[in-house]
Amino acid sequence: MKRLTSALLGSALLMLAASPVHAGEKIFTAKKCNACHYTQGPAREKSIADQLAKKGPELWYAGSKFQQKWLQAWLQDPKPIRSLKYNSLTVNNPGNHPKLAAADAKSVTDFLMTLTSKSVKSGFIKPKKNPKGRLIFVKKMPCSGCHAFPGKKKFKGGRSGPSLVGAGKRLNPDWIFAYLKDTKEFKPVRSMPVFKGLLSEKNMKKVAQYVASFK
Amino acid sequence: MKMSKSIIYTALLCAFSLALSTPAPAAEVEQVFNFYCAQCHGLEGKGDGPNVSKTFPVDPRNFTKAKEMEKLSDADMKNVIMDGGPSASKSPMMPPWSKTISEADADALVKYLRKLCNCKGKGS
Repeated sequence: MKRLTSALLGSALLMLAASPVHAGEKIFTAKKCNACHYTQGPAREKSIADQLAKKGPELWYAGSKFQQKWLQAWLQDPKPIRSLKYNSLTVNNPGNHPKLAAADAKSVTDFLMTLTSKSVKSGFIKPKKNPKGRLIFVKKMPCSGCHAFPGKKKFKGGRSGPSLVGAGKRLNPDWIFAYLKDTKEFKPVRSMPVFKGLLSEKNMKKVAQYVASFK
Repeated sequence: MKMSKSIIYTALLCAFSLALSTPAPAAEVEQVFNFYCAQCHGLEGKGDGPNVSKTFPVDPRNFTKAKEMEKLSDADMKNVIMDGGPSASKSPMMPPWSKTISEADADALVKYLRKLCNCKGKGS
């Protein structure tokens, strides 16, 4: 019985060691992605200085934040999401994020998709172009002041936050809602206002649906 | 010995209370301003942050214009910082920061803005 248990445990460990998740993490480390992105939660930032010391966004909840298909494609052709360099208000994004080969991009994506947050409930938000969400995003709250967004209007949004053009393909709709609702869980220090207590959960849901509909 | 211990505890308590109630020092206030406000108001406070383009729906306030800044009281400014533009019938592009920054930081920001305009507010 002991031998059988040991054999089963041994095979399980072997399978785990050979799984693509581990391969992705190895590539992530070998390519020095962890020099700019940390992957172990919870959030570490306690002060503005902590946030400013980071070279790139934290990825410890990447699996909850991104859509797998988009992430895998983006790692192979990383077009800037931010107009400005990370944490800068004066320097444009140089667009020099390293590219990964297709196989590596798949492995790293598989790894990143395992990094999730319990605060993100899945299947809660469905993309929807709803007028209430639009009204809050464009008129009642300052979202468009910092985020580029798609539309026919002359004003296409600000530059200090990440662009939300194509957010429907990039972001998990449930994460958008969770990020509005439990901001400090993901980013305790950020230059975007905390809306919890200012915007009802019902309205946050409307905004999340609206942003998730962005092409 | 007991006496000296209680003096130390009292001193520590006083220092702690002071730390909680005192606005952030100048260098920190500038960091707070640069982090939250400069996105729209610019690093020098001239209303020309990177979000402001020709199509931006409103002109963010230029804090260096003393004539305009004198019309506002310190309380007016703190109110807009905490509750956003609409609280003073101004643009919603000015966000409400009450859930993001502390009262002490807001007080320090008001003082910082007074430094930028080199002016005094209405009623002060």
